[in-house]
Amino acid sequence: MRQSLLNDTLTVSGLSVARSGRTILHPTSLEISPGDRIGLVGSSGSGKSTLGHALVDDFRAQGKRVTHVPQSPDEALDPLRSMAFQWREAEQALGLQPGSADQKTLFSTLNIEGSDLRRRPWGWSRGMQQRFVISMALMGTPDLIVLDEPTSALDPVVAAATMDLLDRHLGSGNIAMMLITHDLGLAARRVSRLMVMEDGRIVECASTKELLQRPQASASKALVAHRSWVELPC
Amino acid sequence: MIKDLLGFMLRAAVVLTGTAFITFALLWNAPGDPAQAIAMARYDALLTEEVIALIREEAGLNAGFWAAFFSWVGPLVVLDFGRSAVSGQEVLPSLLAAIFYTFPLAMAGLAVGTIISLPLAILATKKPGGLFDRIAIAIASLGAAIPAYWLGLLLILFFAVQTGWLPAMGARTPTHAILPALTLGLGVAASLTRIIRSGILEARRQPFLPAIKRRGVSSKAIGRDHVAPHAAIPVVTLFGLELAFLLEGTVMVEVIFGRPGLGTLLVTAIETRDFPLVQAVVILTALVFVTVNLAIDIVYRLIDPRIGEPDA
Repeated sequence: MRQSLLNDTLTVSGLSVARSGRTILHPTSLEISPGDRIGLVGSSGSGKSTLGHALVDDFRAQGKRVTHVPQSPDEALDPLRSMAFQWREAEQALGLQPGSADQKTLFSTLNIEGSDLRRRPWGWSRGMQQRFVISMALMGTPDLIVLDEPTSALDPVVAAATMDLLDRHLGSGNIAMMLITHDLGLAARRVSRLMVMEDGRIVECASTKELLQRPQASASKALVAHRSWVELPC
Repeated sequence: MIKDLLGFMLRAAVVLTGTAFITFALLWNAPGDPAQAIAMARYDALLTEEVIALIREEAGLNAGFWAAFFSWVGPLVVLDFGRSAVSGQEVLPSLLAAIFYTFPLAMAGLAVGTIISLPLAILATKKPGGLFDRIAIAIASLGAAIPAYWLGLLLILFFAVQTGWLPAMGARTPTHAILPALTLGLGVAASLTRIIRSGILEARRQPFLPAIKRRGVSSKAIGRDHVAPHAAIPVVTLFGLELAFLLEGTVMVEVIFGRPGLGTLLVTAIETRDFPLVQAVVILTALVFVTVNLAIDIVYRLIDPRIGEPDA
């Protein structure tokens, strides 16, 4: 069981990405312990999503169970296929027997139980689609779930509710979570450690509390200074 | 559903009525004396004014345009195509006989086209821009550029004249259909290859595919379950249109290979000014297009039910 492998830390070193001759992610090394809650923040174009994708692909290549929730359900679900099909397909990809994944539990934690799985994604609301994608990402208890702006396509109330449901499900378990967002306010309420990115580099990494109080790097300072202190529900 | 069906029937009625009217008006106003042409076709000789006048009366050419139009359209509703102005025989049996030759040929042409284009397109998309892709595009362009009459003659020259492997003229045995089917099929393959290839490449750019890949789904399963359905939508359209064109557009091939069929029937009917026969063939063609369009619509909705939904 995963629970016993407390030393099962996820590690990458020297991860970098270049596209058409330009380095968009400079060599990056990091460690993620089981149950970690990490926020990856930075302005648009700082390389957050690139790092997210690169991490997922690298860990998967290492044989780790890592899942990814893209920004919009349009980037996760095939509009021509029923929800049931996409669920079964994900199960098969994990080598699970059809129907053996804890669908009931996941659906009830993410509050989408009783929905019609024979429908195609567009037969569901976007909030429900996104929660379905998150529940698929939690299938089979991964080592790490990377959420890339998971709530930006949702209205604030649904977004907050979705994050609450996810928080409750992760609880104090061993699934590590990485939350990618440009919204420091959102990250601050959900994670214990923050990483700030700028121009394809992690420029600062500190506990949430410390970073909010004493930001070091200029990018962190800017983010903290411009953080919306109005208490949004998310 | 019932609303859809009613809408379809209404559209079909408009198309068919329009076709009937335009065909009739064109033929009615075509230059030359139709009675004279009928007389030539029937008796192969120049006849006296009296006989011509008799023919004109008998063929209903003396009645005014509208009277003639309605006396033709009325019985059409119950599939009574009337009688040939030349032979005096019922049109429907000769129409059915022609379909009996044309339909299998069209199907064979479509089958040949599919058998060639599907593997060619799939192989081409294995490595877009690669050598095989270029070759496939070249073959497709060549196929589209070669006219059917020339290709048909080449095939006859090689397979019938030089080697004597296959019969060139007539339609007595199924082997007689091989060369015409090849001629039709190569043309179909050209356009199908291009549309299947671009359909697959387009479908591969769907935004959700990377996520499905990250879920660990094999590329084979992704191709089968996600790329293929998205690629199928443009292919279905072309497939239906090709079928419709083949059913009515085999004229050239039927003439080259001396086969009876709808094309030959139409050409003969036009030459002899056999109005009822020409009109019957044209109406049948319109009917084929309407039906094929309905079939395309239904297949669309099976693949993607959003198509046809009011707030898709």
